[in-house]
This record gives sequence, C-alpha cells and structure tokens, in this order.
Amino acid sequence: MIRIDNGPLAKAAVTFKEVTVTSSGVSILDRVNASVPRGSWTAVIGPNGAGKSTLLLALLGMIPYHGLISIAPGEKAPRIGYVPQRFSFDRGMPITVMEFMLMGRQRLPFWFGCRRGMAKARELLGAVRAEALEGRRLGALSGGEMQRVLLALALQEEPDLLVLDEPTAGVDMQGEQIFCELLDELRREKGFTQIMVSHDLATVTHHATHVICLNRRVAAEGPPRQVLTGETLTAIFGLHMGLVDAHGMPEGDTSCTAACCRKKFHV
Amino acid sequence: MFDLTVFFDLIPLLIPCECLQSRFMQQALVGLVLLAPMAAAMGVQVVNFRMAFFADAISHSAFAGVAIGLLASVDPHLTMPAFGLLIGLGIVAVQRRSMLSSDTVIGVFFSALIAFGLAVVSRDASLARDMQRFLYGDILTIGEGEIRWLILLFITVMAFQAWGYNRMLYIGISPTLATAHRVRVAAYQYVYAALLSLVVTFSVWAVGVLLVTALLIVPAAAARNFTRSAGAMFWWALAISVTSAVAGLLVSAQEWARSATGATVILFAFGWFVLSLFATFFTKDHSL
Repeated sequence: MIRIDNGPLAKAAVTFKEVTVTSSGVSILDRVNASVPRGSWTAVIGPNGAGKSTLLLALLGMIPYHGLISIAPGEKAPRIGYVPQRFSFDRGMPITVMEFMLMGRQRLPFWFGCRRGMAKARELLGAVRAEALEGRRLGALSGGEMQRVLLALALQEEPDLLVLDEPTAGVDMQGEQIFCELLDELRREKGFTQIMVSHDLATVTHHATHVICLNRRVAAEGPPRQVLTGETLTAIFGLHMGLVDAHGMPEGDTSCTAACCRKKFHV
Repeated sequence: MFDLTVFFDLIPLLIPCECLQSRFMQQALVGLVLLAPMAAAMGVQVVNFRMAFFADAISHSAFAGVAIGLLASVDPHLTMPAFGLLIGLGIVAVQRRSMLSSDTVIGVFFSALIAFGLAVVSRDASLARDMQRFLYGDILTIGEGEIRWLILLFITVMAFQAWGYNRMLYIGISPTLATAHRVRVAAYQYVYAALLSLVVTFSVWAVGVLLVTALLIVPAAAARNFTRSAGAMFWWALAISVTSAVAGLLVSAQEWARSATGATVILFAFGWFVLSLFATFFTKDHSL
C-alpha cells in the first residue's frame, strides 16, 4: 500500500484500523487501514464492488465489522450528517420539503403544522440554494434538487463529519458541478470534515484534499496530487488512467486550490 | 371503573336516528368511533411503510389466537390480542435479523398461522361455527368491558402517534437516513408493531379478518390523494375513517339494507377513495 503523509492535516477526524467486513463468507473489506484528516474533503475511490459504500456503512455503524473505527477520539460525541446514494423513497408519499426538513427536529406532530425550527430549516435551504422549494412536494423534486435538499437535511445535524455516498450519481454534469462547488463553500464556512465516495475522477481531482484508493483493501492514500498517479489508478481500476490532470489538484490543504475555485473565492 | 352509560345516553340526543335507540347499537357506535381513528392513524404508517401484508398476517393470527383460547379454556378475547402481539413482535424481530425480504418473512408467518388455526379448528365442528364471526366481524356484540379496553388502547395509540408521528415519517422515508441521523429506528419499529398488532386484533371484531386490512389502508390511501402534506394526510385519514364508520353502521342497520356492518363501513371508505381519485387532478403536481 502506498501511504503519503498529509503533513499539517495529519490529525485524523476518523481512523480505520484493520477494518474487515464479510458477508456470507465473502470478504467485502479486508483489513482496511486509513485515516480521514480533520477539515479535509476526503474522497474514497475504487472500482465497482471495491467496498466503498460498505466502508461508509461501517463508519455509520449500520453493518457489523471487525477492527476499529474511531471518530475524533477524546472529544464529545461527534455529530454525523449523511447524504445517501441514489435516494429512493416512495415518491407518492405526501410530504413537503419543509416537513422533510423538520421531521427529525420537530416533536409536535405535523397535524398541527410546521412550527419549531422553521427559520433554521429555511436558512439551510437557502445555503444549498433550495429556498424556493420549501412548499414543494418532496416526490416532485428533480434529482439535483433532491440532492441539495438531502444536503440541507444533513447540515441540519450541524455535523462534525459529513458522509456522502456518491451524492451526485444520476445528476447531470452541471448539477454535479453546482453541488460540488456548494459543498466546497459550505465546508470552508462551517469547518466540517467530509468523506465522500465518488466514481468521478474529475470531481476528485478537482475538489478532494485527501484520497483513499480502495479495492477491498487500501491501495493508496494521501493528497490527490501524489496519489492519483497513472500507476495507482491502473493498479486499482485495471485501465490506463492517464487523463488525470495533476494541475487541477489541491495541494493537500483544506480548501480547493483549483483555478476556478481560486478565482471564485479570491474576488 | 367509570360508568359509560352517560356516553351511550348522549348518542340518541346527538344523532336522532331511530336505530340508535337500542343500547347494543349505541355500544357499537362508540366502539367504531374509537376504532376508526386508531385504524386511520396507524394506517397512515401502514401505507407509508408498505405494511399491508403485515396487517394481513396479524389479522389472520386471530384464527390461531381464538383457537388457542377455546382449546385452553381461556377467554378468546384475551388470547387473540395476546397472540397477535406476540406474532407482530416476532415478525419484526425476524425481519430485522434475517437476510430474507420482508414479504417473504411475513409470508412464512402468514402461512404458518393459517395452517395452525385451520388445524386446530378442523378438529371440532363447533369451533368452526364460532370462527365465522371472526371472518365477517361482529361489532354489534361489543360489550362495555371491551369498550373500556378500547378506550385504553385509544389513549395509548394516540399518545404514541402524537409523540412519534414525525419520526415515523422519517423512518418511512428512509430507515438508513433516520438511523444515521440518530433516530431510534428499532425502538419505534417495535412499539409501532406492537400497537398495530393490538389495533388489528381489535379491528377484527368490527370488520372481520377478511376486511381488517381495508379498514387500515383504504382511508389512508384516499387521504394520500386528497393532500400533499404529511400533516394534512393524518386529518383526512381520520375524517374518512370516522365518517365511513358512522355511515356504515347507520346504513347497515336500515331495514332496506340489512347488510354486514363491517362490509358496509369498508364500502363507504371505498366511496371516499373513488372521490379522492378525482381530487388527485386538482391537488398534486402531475410531474409526481
């Protein structure tokens, strides 16, 4: 395994130690050792069946595993926000976006209307550019709108750690770009750590500050500029991956240093 | 024990209908007015969680529950809800641990319950005759003791709904998301399954094994078509269920109708559902 130290980011928000997951005798994750630097945008990449989503489910405590996953040791219980992959639900269910935002916050049943936490929910919907959606029926949202509302729901948890499982799967390129730029902005503003499974190497090279290359085991880990080499990518994807542009990669700090983001944030 | 006669005496004053002069009709009306809102409220989640098959399995456990009671010389009115509760919790426990799909787990329980009930009942012809009233329901025979139990269940169910309606909505949309965001999914699922099992077994009295699922899902399904918000769905389901129950009881008692009360209640609820289909054209975003 190639492991490259992140220097100033070495303080880990999450540490995976010898994490192993098996299902019906089949090994899905095999002694995974990796860390997620605090304040980073950590991308987990790998081919289909590499165990990326399984790693996140283990992190969320939803599946049994062997080994140790420690989240920000020594501090108060960390808060986690989660944005799932291809969110499927009963689209015929009558529920408005505002009810969706408040269902985990408001104890008073919705029979008496939305009351507690509306201002905060509106603020978060505004932050993800979804303020106009609050009265819409959840089932009527497009893929991109749904992902932004899910992001607002996760942010409502005021997370120390934001976990995203291919949040832009099924969203068009423009929607994906808007979503990733929004994430970058929010992470810088709110200071949470982010771990995101992604299939899209362009997104990873452009936005991630730390990469974990997974194929049941960790093949490589570190800043994208040093990890996403043709050699590593060929090793895990089994193809020649010479298209990655190292100039667009962040230098390993906690913000995206790509040209477009620099321009945007330094105006 | 508090005296219920004051409530019964009020009924003919509130609804001046000749058929409500007799005490058994007054008791039936009170029973239905207690059962209908409970079934409607729990039905909202039955529809959201796609648990119609679960409710069916519990209702069919009534056979086995009654059979056990009759065999063991214990009041079937006690063994039926107790057995239903046991089966409901058992299904949830197996669902949560098994790799099998939910409908397969319920299907296995469902078949076993029917087989057990039929095996016991088939041993004795007099038992088979007793079973008929559980198939079609018999709300007109409900007594004061049973109404007291219904009042207790009503308070419990409505308290749970008031406490957990929003969180149950969360679980209905995505149990994974709810778990990740610190909702106690397992606790809600077990309490809900226990209460639903009790509501289903009590509802067997009113509408019978064959129609109990309809009492749960038809008002909620119609309510879905009338509204676009989760809060309003609750009130619509309640209104549809209670009006259907009252209208069904009154119509079934008329000389020209003389129909089974449970079946008539469900037919009124279905009428609401047909109306709701027209309402969808006005209330929903057609894009889904």
